[in-house]
Amino acid sequence: MSSVRRAGEVAQREFLTVLRTPTLLALAAGYVFLLTAVAWLSVAGTYIALVLDLLTPVEVLVPILAFAFGYRAILGDRESGELETVRTYPVSRVSYVGGVYLGRAVAVLAAVLAGLVAAALFVPFSSGRDLSFTATHATVDSPVLYLRFVFLTAAFALVVLALAILVSAAARSSRGGLALGVGAVVALLVGFDSAILTTLAGGFVSGDSLTALLALSPNSAFRSLVFVTTLAPTGASVPEGPAALVATVGLAGWAVVAITAATFVVWNA
Amino acid sequence: MHVTHAGILVGVVLLVSATGFAATPSGGESLSPVPFDETLSTGMTGVDIQQADSAGYVVPRAEVFYSQYEYVVGYYGMDALVNSLDAAGGTEQFGRPMAIFVTDLSGTEPYLTEEGYVRARNSVAQGWVRAEDAAFVVDSGARTPGGPATLPFGDRVDAERFADAHGGEVVTWSTVRTRLAGGETDPLTRLAERRADQQQWANDSVAGARELLDRPTSVVVGEDAPTLATAVERAPPNSTVVVPPGTYDVNLTIRKPVTIAGSGENTVLHGEGNGTVLTVRSPDVAVVSLRIEGIGDTRVGQSAETEAWDDRIRLIYGRGDAGIRLADAHGALVQNVTIETPANGVVALNSTGAVVRDSTVRGSDRPADGFMGVLAMYSAMVVEDSEFVGGRDGVYTHYANGIVVRDNTMSSLRYGVHEMYTSDALVGNNTVTDASVGLIVMTRPAGNALVDNRVTDAEIGISTAGSASYAVGNVVTDTAVGISIGTDRSLYARNTVVDNGVGIRAATLLPTNTVVANDIVANDRPVSVGNRGTRNIWATDGTGNYWGAVPGLDRDGDGTVDRSYRPDDAVDRVAGRSAGGYAFARSPAVGTLRQFQQAIPGLRGASVVDPAPRTEPVRPAVLERVRKEEDS
Repeated sequence: MSSVRRAGEVAQREFLTVLRTPTLLALAAGYVFLLTAVAWLSVAGTYIALVLDLLTPVEVLVPILAFAFGYRAILGDRESGELETVRTYPVSRVSYVGGVYLGRAVAVLAAVLAGLVAAALFVPFSSGRDLSFTATHATVDSPVLYLRFVFLTAAFALVVLALAILVSAAARSSRGGLALGVGAVVALLVGFDSAILTTLAGGFVSGDSLTALLALSPNSAFRSLVFVTTLAPTGASVPEGPAALVATVGLAGWAVVAITAATFVVWNA
Repeated sequence: MHVTHAGILVGVVLLVSATGFAATPSGGESLSPVPFDETLSTGMTGVDIQQADSAGYVVPRAEVFYSQYEYVVGYYGMDALVNSLDAAGGTEQFGRPMAIFVTDLSGTEPYLTEEGYVRARNSVAQGWVRAEDAAFVVDSGARTPGGPATLPFGDRVDAERFADAHGGEVVTWSTVRTRLAGGETDPLTRLAERRADQQQWANDSVAGARELLDRPTSVVVGEDAPTLATAVERAPPNSTVVVPPGTYDVNLTIRKPVTIAGSGENTVLHGEGNGTVLTVRSPDVAVVSLRIEGIGDTRVGQSAETEAWDDRIRLIYGRGDAGIRLADAHGALVQNVTIETPANGVVALNSTGAVVRDSTVRGSDRPADGFMGVLAMYSAMVVEDSEFVGGRDGVYTHYANGIVVRDNTMSSLRYGVHEMYTSDALVGNNTVTDASVGLIVMTRPAGNALVDNRVTDAEIGISTAGSASYAVGNVVTDTAVGISIGTDRSLYARNTVVDNGVGIRAATLLPTNTVVANDIVANDRPVSVGNRGTRNIWATDGTGNYWGAVPGLDRDGDGTVDRSYRPDDAVDRVAGRSAGGYAFARSPAVGTLRQFQQAIPGLRGASVVDPAPRTEPVRPAVLERVRKEEDS
């Protein structure tokens, strides 16, 4: 049996676990509802406006969602003793961690994308302007910009999920897992950016190196990617710079490092 | 459910979203011009454009497609275009211009008339060209009714040919932008300077007209002559005809400069319901201290097909019956005259410097049954200290540039003061009650001042249009809509707007008005915005308006609240009046949404933001007095 096949079986098992956990389904539903509510309340009318309205809610909600879906994945197996059973099968650490990640990722992405698609449905129906005698044009608004945002949000969710899987692999108890998980979410939402703020306020970094520094914070990297790829084409003044590349490298780096680390700490080879 | 199936589904959605990076959002390259009458247009006055259209003069136009504004903005004249592109906050509110199209005169074979107006021998050839591809002829002596014109050509050769024939210089778009930028002095500064001069001009006109009261008596009706008509016939120019108490049947035309002096309300000129009672066809005629009744009830004249752009208006509106008709009666005076009329009180045509003062016009009970108190056409005149009750409009102006209407009271009518095609008017210190609209300016004029007026109990207090105008120091109470702003580049300051359904309605297209230092208090809704505007920012130099209690604190004691106020926002609207709303305004959820709604305003619905609401009223004494009146 190839290692890919084994990973697929692990993924299937993880996916079913999520589907059988009502708490997670309720959480996903709540997330979809919140995004829809934001879209409805903001009455954006345009895709680019919706992107801006959703940016902060997404930045907060996606890490919470991803950690909720991920932090017990391996920890649950470990506590129930199933991890020991799994080790008796000819499954490599890479296949196991990869499979867990894939299975959970499909579930997380399904929720994340469902929320964004639902929010977008409000745009065509909420344009409150009708001046039939007046010529209109497309402005810079475009569904294309929203598609970019959807893709970036999905990527962001994958990165955060990788961190959640690392927490899950590293934790040795429920309490420890919860503490690590909450700590990681707080770090993502506040910690990294606060640290960057401290260095900035202390005069340790200049404006130029801030771009690179931001890539170290997954949330900020995601945010700058959104600005560069969706807001900048609209003519809003976003400073020039290698933000997109640096942020992409940063995000990818976090995902790769987290999954690799999870593979090493899940059990001793 | 199998993970592979879900995975494929998720993968497909991801692939679709990834196409967002393959496609580039449209730039301006694919845009093409739209019919000009489908744009939201600005620049030049309504009069200038009407005149140009009816005379067949070319007015160069432009269309701009802004990146964040879905409506195409049209400009009359290159000056308006350049000034708008350079205006502070313009790009912030509309985004950058994705495409600018200007009139293409190539192929139209344009030439100049003697006055310098541009006509085209082949006007159907007129098209559009992108501004960056056009060649412009500047300083050629070409003009529009609004002033000197810059002419765009799609083909540089045509531009050069025109410049060779008519003078001027051929330049590129970037040169035009730098040349025309800042060309016009700040219209509001000019207006403020002009206002004092205009009051002085009105004082001088009144003083000049009042000298007509000092003419020696030559004829007394009833003693020296049997009728008023024979008295006027016998009176030498520059003398006074005295009309003792009594009722006189009159339908008289006065063709020499005399003063007709009654002895007050007891001297009654009666027209027997037949046409206009007194027609004045001479300068420097005075009609004083009498009463006019029995005016005919023809309110409008017959229309006819004629040349000038406003013949229809002149013939229909200017031919109605009146108590006194002034025609070419420059410097005439109507003083202490009471007029009961089913049609007009005083009609003034081509009577610049005429004065109507201390008089009363009583019109019909229903506005639809009456007409104008004073109807001023082509007459820069003065209407002051008079009272207008009933009828349609108190003072109606048509192309009466420079008219001064001050210190009057108007009540129980449709409009108090109604300005049509009239620029540079000064309407000051009038009181209007019980009207559909207190003061209304229509037809896109420029340079009008509405100062220190009081409007109460109306559907709309003050309704403006045009550009470079201002409304300062007015008090508006008990209306459905206090001030309806339809202008651009205009100033609204030191107004007191209390107890109205809507305090200020921002119905304007381009957010170029300055709305500061007003006291807007205790209205059901402080502000409403039209559906086609964008974000209006109502503050200058860090101070805005006074809205009563608004959420936030003045922590640095600079007299303004540290939180911006959005008078049309669902939360802020109630926050001034309810403790719950005040607390809710501090909610992080509300704050976060607000924060993001500040971005790309052009793609949002219209809104008003006061970034620095005042903690104290601008005119506390006025506000206190008005509120006391409202309570009692």
